[in-house]
Amino acid sequence: MRWLAMVYGLTIFSAVAMVGGESVAEAAPTPTAAEILARIDKNMTFETRSMTVKMTSVSARRTREFQMRAYGRGEDQAAIEYLSPAREQGTRMLRKGEELWMYLPSVEKTQKISGHMLRQGMMGSDVSYEDMMAASDLRTAYNAVVTGSEDCGNGRMCWKLEMTAKDSTVTYPKRIAWIDQEYGVSTKQELYAVSGMLLKKWTMSEVKNFENGRYFPTKMEISDQLQSGTKTILEFTEIKFGVDLEDEVFSMRWLERH
Amino acid sequence: MILLRLAARNATRNFQRTLLTAGTVVFGTALLTVGLAWINGIFGQMFSLAAASTGDVRLVDPDFAAREDLFPMYEYIPDVGPLSEKVREVPGVIDVYPRIITGVTLTVGDEIGDVFGLAVGAPKEWYEKRLELGKLLVDGRLLEEKDDLVLGKTLSDRLNAKVGSEVVLLGQTQDGSMSPVKGTVVGIVSGGNALIDQQVFMNLEPIQYMVDIEGGATELLVYGDDPSSAVPLAERVRSVGGSLLVQAWSQRDPWSGMMNLINVVRGTLSGIIVFITALGVWNTMMMSVLERTGEIGVMRAMGLSSRGAVFLFVIEALTIAALGGMVGVLLGSVGAGFLETYGVELGDQVTQNTPLPIRSRMFADLSWSVVGTSFGLGLGMAVVGSFPPSFRAALIQPVTAMRSRR
Repeated sequence: MRWLAMVYGLTIFSAVAMVGGESVAEAAPTPTAAEILARIDKNMTFETRSMTVKMTSVSARRTREFQMRAYGRGEDQAAIEYLSPAREQGTRMLRKGEELWMYLPSVEKTQKISGHMLRQGMMGSDVSYEDMMAASDLRTAYNAVVTGSEDCGNGRMCWKLEMTAKDSTVTYPKRIAWIDQEYGVSTKQELYAVSGMLLKKWTMSEVKNFENGRYFPTKMEISDQLQSGTKTILEFTEIKFGVDLEDEVFSMRWLERH
Repeated sequence: MILLRLAARNATRNFQRTLLTAGTVVFGTALLTVGLAWINGIFGQMFSLAAASTGDVRLVDPDFAAREDLFPMYEYIPDVGPLSEKVREVPGVIDVYPRIITGVTLTVGDEIGDVFGLAVGAPKEWYEKRLELGKLLVDGRLLEEKDDLVLGKTLSDRLNAKVGSEVVLLGQTQDGSMSPVKGTVVGIVSGGNALIDQQVFMNLEPIQYMVDIEGGATELLVYGDDPSSAVPLAERVRSVGGSLLVQAWSQRDPWSGMMNLINVVRGTLSGIIVFITALGVWNTMMMSVLERTGEIGVMRAMGLSSRGAVFLFVIEALTIAALGGMVGVLLGSVGAGFLETYGVELGDQVTQNTPLPIRSRMFADLSWSVVGTSFGLGLGMAVVGSFPPSFRAALIQPVTAMRSRR
């Protein structure tokens, strides 16, 4: 569904940053915002995509695993079907534009996810529905500055960016992100509230090279900082870009099929 | 002895004044009898409903109790069966019931709506025996089958649900996942308060599935033979409760604070009535002292001590108060008895907006302790009201009194 859009959203602002703010990095080879943006676009945007997602939600009390099949078309259309565990099997989610729907097979009902529900964790994980809905076009949402270049683990160099929301409707008013200089994808993000309180930490890893030189992180770890001892790990497999997806997949009929 | 005879004779010397004094005491004691019976009735009803709905004693995870308003389902008691058996063996324990309460969205029809309510899940015996839900049925029956639901009246009105309607409850698992269950409405109840009318009652098993704590519960409710003995029962249950929080209903908020409140309300009401009545007694007794200034002077000249003068008027007041008190308690008992039998309808507007377990019709509770307290306070009113005039009488100097020619 929006996994790719999220990755895209969480990384794209590193490039956008250069548009909205002034770079403070001193090194001469620091790319321009346009250059970073181009690299991220190449890696993260797609026309269609399908993949299998394994979501592991860890809390102090227990660990739960979910298997999902996710489909995406452009930035506005996405669909997820839960394959396991048994109590969630057949649950489907559909995003069309700014609307998010969830089909609950045990009662054969469709629930629109809106209002306060958007802030709840998806299946009780650290990823909220609002995270899934977050606009990938951060260029219009944030002003940003490049605050440096540093080692972001395993000897890999990253650009560090700090982003500030342009208006109060943005879910996370401030973000700090580290963008891998070789791959052009975000490897780590910190999401803050307007008060400066750290809300969430995201790390992206196991970046793989796909066709046409596309780099894509196949593992994410999200930790909601307002809860103690929780984290959610997303692992993407069977990722295919440019697949043929019928209109049916992104319809209410698909969502509510028995 | 002579003073007692004098006091008794004085009480009958001015019939109108005596009647006025006695009338004041009658009014005061009657008002006290009705007031105390009413307060005891309201609080007694509330406390008995509280004990019935939350258990004489309750076992919960301490972290659940700390954030109870947020329904933290993850702070549950796992596998309540063996613990229930252990608690049942505690002397004085009669019944043990696991229970889960959580917030849900209710829907009738295709679109998931926005009617919110509290879902209560417990064994059906608890609804019948402890909550006495059968008495509140306005339609249908209580739970029998696994997926049966009983709706509070307010919820059924908002949902436009009837007996036979299929209702979807959308709640959350202990992890916060959306979790729906479906059931059929088999009964509608009205308790006249938000606690009953905005709840949906269901069996334990489906709610355990909904919140994903199968075999567990968030509360274990324990009942003995008398809610007023809940504190010692809690002490005994604590021995098998392990790390769980074990509390008698009267030790939990808001009831612990209310136990003090009832004494404050009773004391304040009694104090106001005693004060006002004592003023009336003071007034009539002062008139009596002023009328008899000359007589008192003569008696003082003949050797009546100051203490004797005080005694004379206090006994006179007590004699009148005893008679007035009896009549007052009798009249008050008639009024309180009426309220005990027929009660007063407070109206749904009052009761639906309070989180306290009160019924829309409230009844008084007339007891011997109310009668005794009212009569005793009636005598107290006489003593308090007669003291100032009595001291004035005691201070009268014989020469001054005889000169006044009264």
